[in-house]
Amino acid sequence: MTSCLEFRSLFHAGTNDPALLGHLRSCDPCLDYAAHLDPDVMFRAIGGEDLVPPGGVDAFVEDVMRAVHVRSKEDVVESHHVLSWPRRLAVAATIAASVVGGTLVFEHERQPLPAAVQVAAVTPRPAVAQVKLTTKPVVETYSSANATIVEVPSESAGDTTKIVMVIDDKLPADL
Amino acid sequence: MKRALILLILCLFATGVAIAQPAGDAKALNVKTFQFKYKDADKAAAIIKQLMSAEGSMSIQPASNSLVVTDRSEKMKAITDALAAFDTPPHPVKLSLRLVGASRSDTASKVPVEMREIGAKLAVLRYNAIDDLGNANVDGHEGQPTTIDLQNGYRVDFKFGEYDPSSDSIKLDDFRLSKVEKDQLVQVYQATLNLKVGQTLIFGATKTHGQRAIFLVFNARR
Repeated sequence: MTSCLEFRSLFHAGTNDPALLGHLRSCDPCLDYAAHLDPDVMFRAIGGEDLVPPGGVDAFVEDVMRAVHVRSKEDVVESHHVLSWPRRLAVAATIAASVVGGTLVFEHERQPLPAAVQVAAVTPRPAVAQVKLTTKPVVETYSSANATIVEVPSESAGDTTKIVMVIDDKLPADL
Repeated sequence: MKRALILLILCLFATGVAIAQPAGDAKALNVKTFQFKYKDADKAAAIIKQLMSAEGSMSIQPASNSLVVTDRSEKMKAITDALAAFDTPPHPVKLSLRLVGASRSDTASKVPVEMREIGAKLAVLRYNAIDDLGNANVDGHEGQPTTIDLQNGYRVDFKFGEYDPSSDSIKLDDFRLSKVEKDQLVQVYQATLNLKVGQTLIFGATKTHGQRAIFLVFNARR
């Protein structure tokens, strides 16, 4: 074990004495002292020969490369399983529902009228058999506004004769 | 991942809407000119008014008796059909007409044998004395003006109106009953009448209730 006093007396620039360099790794004041005299002493004091990994460099490199290889395989496997089959089916169903939904929504919005109203508007002439006859007044207009127009009720439902009488004080008496 | 999925769904939704966008042709307006041979263009305009869409429009060309219609193609089909059914030749009409004078008599009833059927009807109104003032049978068609001279100086003028399928009736436009008095033709009354096809119409007129009346008995057929 080298003391600080021995170190300072024996140390000189460019020394490779293992005992002196070993003292530097455990004594900071002597390291400052030595660095002042020889700046490269710190690198020599690190002791590079001692950093060889257990089992040798080749074994260490082999371990590292194996780890890298395993990682890359894991990535490949993971990328192949981003979407499982149930997820793929769910996405496909969602896409289909979106397209159909979009189409239906748009078609619904562009309907100008309810279907029933459209049918009524587009059907101008119902078939003759379906026509329900309307009734028009027998006397649509008459020359005198003060006249009284009386329709005599039919005697029976099947009566094909209609009687309408006008009482008009503007008519001549000698009809 | 979820955001990407939502974005994808929204994009597909927009695509669906774009696919559903109707083609330009379906919304395009068509213009068609209808020229009428038998009917008036202004009457045709009233008929198709309810068939047209909100975007549709029309203009009447009186000089050529035609109608220029602008509307969507799906509406144009119904309009074309309606106008084709409308512009038909005038319907033929047959009209039997009889003028009858009637009064109330305190003595025995006076009803000619050939007018017993009418007499039975007028008995409802308590007319029991009937005299025949003439009759006529007319074969005409829609739009045809007609004048009939009857007995005792009576004259009937009218124009056959249009046959109305909805009420199965024929209109007599500007129907006038006139009477010659002192070489002057004096109008008794003027009216517009609707005659139901196949039905006998007894149309009477009197100055006051119970006084002498004249009755026109119509029967229209097609």
